[in-house]
Amino acid sequence: MARRFLTADDVRREHSGSIVVEADTIVTPQAQETARELGKVISTTKGPYVQPTPDRGPDADKARRSLPNLPEPLESDSQATSMIVTAVGKNRPGVLAELTSALAEFHASVHDISQRVVDGYFHLILVVETPQGVGFGTLKQRMECLGGADDYAVRVMHERVFRFMHRV
Amino acid sequence: MSFTEQEILETVRMFELETLDIRTTTLGINLLDCADPDIESACEKVYAKIVHQARDLVKVGQSITADYGIPIVNKRIAVTPISLVAAACGSDDLVPFARAMDAAAKAVGVDFIGGFTAYVHKGYTNADRALIESIPRALAETDHVCSSISLASTRAGINMDAVGHFSRIVLATAKLTADRGGLGCAKLVCFCNTVEDNPFVAGAHIGIGEGETVLNVGVSGPGVVRSALARLGPDADLLAVAETIKRTAFKITRMGELVGREAARRLGTTFGIVDVSLAPTPAIGDSVSDILELIGAERTGAPGTTAALALLTDAVKKGGAMASSSVGGLSGAFIPVSEDAGMIAAVRDDALSLAKLEAMTAVCSVGLDMVAVPGDTPPATIAGIIADEMAIGMINNKTTAVRIIPVPGKGPGETVEWGGLLGTAIVQDPGKYSCERFYLRGGRIPAPLQGYKN
Repeated sequence: MARRFLTADDVRREHSGSIVVEADTIVTPQAQETARELGKVISTTKGPYVQPTPDRGPDADKARRSLPNLPEPLESDSQATSMIVTAVGKNRPGVLAELTSALAEFHASVHDISQRVVDGYFHLILVVETPQGVGFGTLKQRMECLGGADDYAVRVMHERVFRFMHRV
Repeated sequence: MSFTEQEILETVRMFELETLDIRTTTLGINLLDCADPDIESACEKVYAKIVHQARDLVKVGQSITADYGIPIVNKRIAVTPISLVAAACGSDDLVPFARAMDAAAKAVGVDFIGGFTAYVHKGYTNADRALIESIPRALAETDHVCSSISLASTRAGINMDAVGHFSRIVLATAKLTADRGGLGCAKLVCFCNTVEDNPFVAGAHIGIGEGETVLNVGVSGPGVVRSALARLGPDADLLAVAETIKRTAFKITRMGELVGREAARRLGTTFGIVDVSLAPTPAIGDSVSDILELIGAERTGAPGTTAALALLTDAVKKGGAMASSSVGGLSGAFIPVSEDAGMIAAVRDDALSLAKLEAMTAVCSVGLDMVAVPGDTPPATIAGIIADEMAIGMINNKTTAVRIIPVPGKGPGETVEWGGLLGTAIVQDPGKYSCERFYLRGGRIPAPLQGYKN
């Protein structure tokens, strides 16, 4: 097993001006500071020292392999990302147009739609597919900026949320 | 449409109106390799390892929220019991470890870090004693560190010497944080049958059977259960109530399963457990007390409350078990008094006494939680309250805990405001009779017959 840590004390005890550690050794901030002060150079067997990627332990590799094998509820064949957009608020002309125009900016296509108006208030559900490469987060942000406090509110959720909650 | 309109609206309503959230994603980090004879080097390693392992935790949580639209309220860290990591130092003052943990928590932006912990249910090591003695200062001098002590188990019995010691430490912690209403004690808890993969603070830590790192998820949602029961109406029988809670818990847990899988994948670590615990907050409607009252208690604490809570806890566990193969942690219903607006109202109206709370802990998933008592309560009385709670856990093979706050300068009936998630408490009367003799005996209550299962 490689050396796990290099501490300030280790740096002070090192006689040579050059300290070589393993690529996955964690060099503490104090060790880096002490090395700077004492003019010592920390490097790895593979080159200059850079902060290693976290070693999640021997179980992690197995977990990474086995995680995709956990069954997904109601597998979807589509490569595209599906999301569900809901909007609730006071009914007025143009709401649907505003929502779909924003979606069009991202080349997202509406696969299903349902709307109801009760006592002047509407609720609207859009099932939307976004092409690969369109960031869900960006689209979500754009959609949720629509409407306003006295107008209507939009919520965008990933379709996988609904699959997990309502399908086994 | 692959989902019905009703299904979609139900999910949206849960998040929008019923305060469904992922309460915490907690990264467990093993710190055993940080042991060092030199305390300064050990603390250096503790800080470096926590920052190293958890540097992406907050970012991953935020990215899941952004990508799925699921709110993740807290990101936390749980570490190996520090008494094990510190044992090699031989130091009597382990506060530097708490400072290192606190600094690391600040550096990675998590809200709490648990694991200033010792297991003393059977006996003390020198490091255990040093850790427990360091608790008051550790909690007073840090912002994010939480401490938990295992005092009893069904296998080992109750270490009454440790119970007595712990009660004095609780009082000392309250005194050191007197300017904040004894708030240090809100970060301090003791356990019987402690849970080694608990993602919720103050008890979060990872036991020695856990791997290098593990991602655990705590999911909550009392508001969702409350609304489901409100829709069910007052005339449905108890089987229908249990079924409704179970189905709702299933749906809540599925969100934990999704986030757990996704967070573990993005962090490249093992997905440990989903803890489905109805954990109330002071927000209106986010209350376990409201659920008990909807089931049929006029006020929480009325006769029937314990039975209603038993039904609730069991139905939550059953729904959770169906929804995920990874259900663990504490899973059930929490009854932290100050954090639940309904419970505080019940205490204010004299509906909920300390004695009734204790009875309720026999069937809830944890124990006496966020209970305020007068600041001048004698250590013997606090030890007695803790011992009673430990006995309930020991005999019933369940986890019980005590998080008790002796509020300096306050007497029974007075109010203390802690603010935020910790809420408001009314100081409760522990009674005028003493258990001094019991406290002074010390020693160990032997393990019960239930513990001999081999």
